[in-house]
Amino acid sequence: MSATAVLRAVVAELRVAGMLAMRYRASFLAETVMSFGWVAWTVIPLLVVYEYRADVQGWTRDQALLVVGLFITLEGLLGALVEPNLRAVVEQVRDGTFDYTLLKPIDTQLLVSIHRIQPTELPHALSGLVVVGVAASRLDPLPGLGDVAAAALLLVAGLMLLHGLWTIVVATSFWFVRVDNLSVLLRSLLDAGRWPVGYYRGIVRFVLTWIVPVGLITTFPAMALRGQLQPQLLLATCGVSLGFSLLARAVWRFALRHYTSASS
Amino acid sequence: MSAPLGTLRHAAAAFPDLLRVSWADMVAYRAEIVIWFLTGTLPIIMMLVWDRVAEAGDIGRFDQPAFAAYFTATLACRQLTGSWVVWEINQLIRTGSLSPALLKPLNPLLFLSAESLAEKPLRAAILVPLVALLFLWRPDMPLPLSPVQLSLAVVAIGLGWLLNVAIQVCFGCLAFRLEQTMGLYMVWFGLWALLSGYLFPLELMPPVARAVVQVLPFRATLGIPVEVLTGALSGWDAVGGLGLQVAWVLAVGLLARLLWRRGVRRYEAYGA
Repeated sequence: MSATAVLRAVVAELRVAGMLAMRYRASFLAETVMSFGWVAWTVIPLLVVYEYRADVQGWTRDQALLVVGLFITLEGLLGALVEPNLRAVVEQVRDGTFDYTLLKPIDTQLLVSIHRIQPTELPHALSGLVVVGVAASRLDPLPGLGDVAAAALLLVAGLMLLHGLWTIVVATSFWFVRVDNLSVLLRSLLDAGRWPVGYYRGIVRFVLTWIVPVGLITTFPAMALRGQLQPQLLLATCGVSLGFSLLARAVWRFALRHYTSASS
Repeated sequence: MSAPLGTLRHAAAAFPDLLRVSWADMVAYRAEIVIWFLTGTLPIIMMLVWDRVAEAGDIGRFDQPAFAAYFTATLACRQLTGSWVVWEINQLIRTGSLSPALLKPLNPLLFLSAESLAEKPLRAAILVPLVALLFLWRPDMPLPLSPVQLSLAVVAIGLGWLLNVAIQVCFGCLAFRLEQTMGLYMVWFGLWALLSGYLFPLELMPPVARAVVQVLPFRATLGIPVEVLTGALSGWDAVGGLGLQVAWVLAVGLLARLLWRRGVRRYEAYGA
């Protein structure tokens, strides 16, 4: 299949997803308004902490706010781009319609990754970026263009990591049909990412940096905006997320080869 | 349509059997309960954060062990007072499976509360090792539990659960009229997390806000059981707290009864 054909298919999928989301306009508007409420929900505990302290583990309020904003952004992107798609795959595996997806003449991993995008979650991601913007504008010194670029790069790397993590979870659904709960589990681990990873101690910090790389996903971009991320760390993060994506792809292909489908 | 004493006795007689059936159900799905348990673990993250914040000195009356005790109690009370009846009611109404449920000679709400109650021993069983682990981490956690205080805490937890169920029945009954009710419940949940003491002790709020939050139903579902369990509320103050809980249970319970009856009548009128 040629690249333009793939691109056309992708655009068509995205258009359908957009139309599906706009179907219930009132609900779409309500969810947009709600997403701003959830921002307040995530920010308030941080404000309470900084009522009592000016600095925790080398993070001032505005600096910690960067992490919260990035957390909200990633939560929104996860809800819009990653989770709904992978949930749909699990459902298809369960009711047997995954066979039809396999028959389509387009890369299956690409297709299932864009098939059920949820644009209603995008305002949530956007409001997270607003928080990041507000917090960044209060930093002294202001982040330079290079810092912003590094942070953006790290955000993409974080999203790739999450996508890989969820892909592997879904790949296991070919063997164990009930895995949608695992995504609940990943979500609750991700919750730790709303605070700078430097807050945590010992084994918890180790796990959150290297095993479930929550810290890497939200804290590193914030450090980049503060101009405190060493270039080696930036490179290492990008390398890790690229490697992890390749690994996830390998796992996915392996799982597909062993998929026994509904009829056999 | 008032419930005559006979019906009430009938329900009370059936309840132990309902519990037994629900318990068997829960044991069958025990792995899922472990997963659902994990969705309520935000207090552990908050505990680690506040522990770090209190490292440089006490905050109000909280030092590091006090924060550990507070959030351990929050974790336990959240697990033991929680309920997802709202989701079940929503599902019953939306899928129409309420119709056969209404044909049974017992109120469907009784089944649902039995289900919610039956999962509590399992949740408690998961709590035990977790709390033990937290005690290993901070052995100096102050939990001044005299027998009196402990029994007050058990009652407070029971009342908190009852209030949660009543509130959720109210939100669930909205599904008789509205399309999107889980969204509304999530708004409530968001407010609840901020105002119940789930994410931070209410004492750390500014005094004016605290005075208001003190009497709202949010604190009655979680804050009061936690305060009794950690000894922040003891003696007659604790009894007063339980009194506030009882008042909210009665008020919300009556509202729930009204909404349920009206909803069912409307539902039947559609001839589902």
